[in-house]
Amino acid sequence: MSDYPTALTEIVDFFEHLPEDEKRENLIVYADASANCGPVEGETFDLEDVRKDEECTDTVGVFLKVDTGTRAAHFRVDLGPQVQTLTKAMTAILCQGLEGATPEAVLEVPQDFVPKIVGGQLVRLRSQTVYYILTRMKSTCKVWLNRERAAES
Amino acid sequence: MNPKFADYAHPEALVDGEWLAAHLDDPSIRVVESNEDVLLYDTGHIPGAVHIDWRGDLQDDLTRDYVSVESFAAVCAKNGITPETTVVFYGDKSNWWSCYALWAFRLFGHEKVKVLDGGRDKWKADGREFTRDKPKYSLTEYPVPAKRRDDEIRAFYADTLAHAKAKKPLIDVRSPGEYKGEITHMPEYPQEGVLRGGHVPGARSVPWKTAANDDGTFKSFDALKAIYTDNLGLKPDDDIVAYCRIGERSSHTWFVLNYLLGYTNVRNYDGSWTEWGNMVRTPIAKGEAAG
Repeated sequence: MSDYPTALTEIVDFFEHLPEDEKRENLIVYADASANCGPVEGETFDLEDVRKDEECTDTVGVFLKVDTGTRAAHFRVDLGPQVQTLTKAMTAILCQGLEGATPEAVLEVPQDFVPKIVGGQLVRLRSQTVYYILTRMKSTCKVWLNRERAAES
Repeated sequence: MNPKFADYAHPEALVDGEWLAAHLDDPSIRVVESNEDVLLYDTGHIPGAVHIDWRGDLQDDLTRDYVSVESFAAVCAKNGITPETTVVFYGDKSNWWSCYALWAFRLFGHEKVKVLDGGRDKWKADGREFTRDKPKYSLTEYPVPAKRRDDEIRAFYADTLAHAKAKKPLIDVRSPGEYKGEITHMPEYPQEGVLRGGHVPGARSVPWKTAANDDGTFKSFDALKAIYTDNLGLKPDDDIVAYCRIGERSSHTWFVLNYLLGYTNVRNYDGSWTEWGNMVRTPIAKGEAAG
């Protein structure tokens, strides 16, 4: 059984057996789509985490909203212009793949899906930022859960 | 030729956007893009440019080394490059990686090399054309080089240790924080696994960025001479070794010293700090002083 939310499993299944050339082409499609992952005017969020970490070349903003009742999480991610293309692709993949998952499910997502999507050739020195977006999304979910527990106690 | 280039020791080693745009259809030229961002070429590139991935195409998969002479010949052949082809390199990060690819081409003895001044960012800033169309070039014959020029333009750990002990010129092109040992990673980059910070004893700190303008172009000859010749007291025939973390920023400096200032005996220590800072019992200096 997959450890990934259903939407992410579909993306992994799509990419996993693609030849390298097609993998790259589809990663570029997702990278292009990342421009639409940012917050839309008028949207409100439970958590906004916008920062430039010391080990990053640019600012990344992660915005989280969790539905009351279903606890479905919805992410928006805003990327600075210096962010690497592979990281842009991963942003769009994760925004789609984690859409509607609960914060607990997001925290459980293992990193091993990354090489399945990206392939071994592309995840090398100076491409490790591809893991960064998932780390940031998990971080916001952790904060949200802590706040939820604090509110209930 | 851009008048700025006239003062350089080898003005023919640089081209500007205007020149390149006028020569995109020249069959004797092959434009090569080489980047840190591994997918950047696919998002758009100079028309006719091929992508040579400094990792996938130029580095051995198993051992930390460059590819074999046979593999290099195959990379050239599949990209339609012959020994007579003038290869014009460009890329992101103010041409770090394109200079690294150029240095690697020189390592294998390819003579006709140039760099697009300002790289990818300047081409974009000038409003020049990008395309996603990937060119297809006929397979050419590239003779397998007789050897790599490891003993001419490349320094290894033992060379650099001897160089330091002999107090010969060593240039550390990393950031000041890395040089002083205050940080063990490049600013704005994750850790790359080095266990100790500092610099090779005797190395002088001249961050690579000192040689570049904000738009990614190389500084003028006079400005570069002030930085390297006047400030460091270097002479054109000095035996110089430059290093960084993995040899890419020091390739930029190698290009500057060789092609723009005309230094004739410069080697790139590509093992650089990721090797030196992890090597048991290797001497390290910290702080601002060369040591």
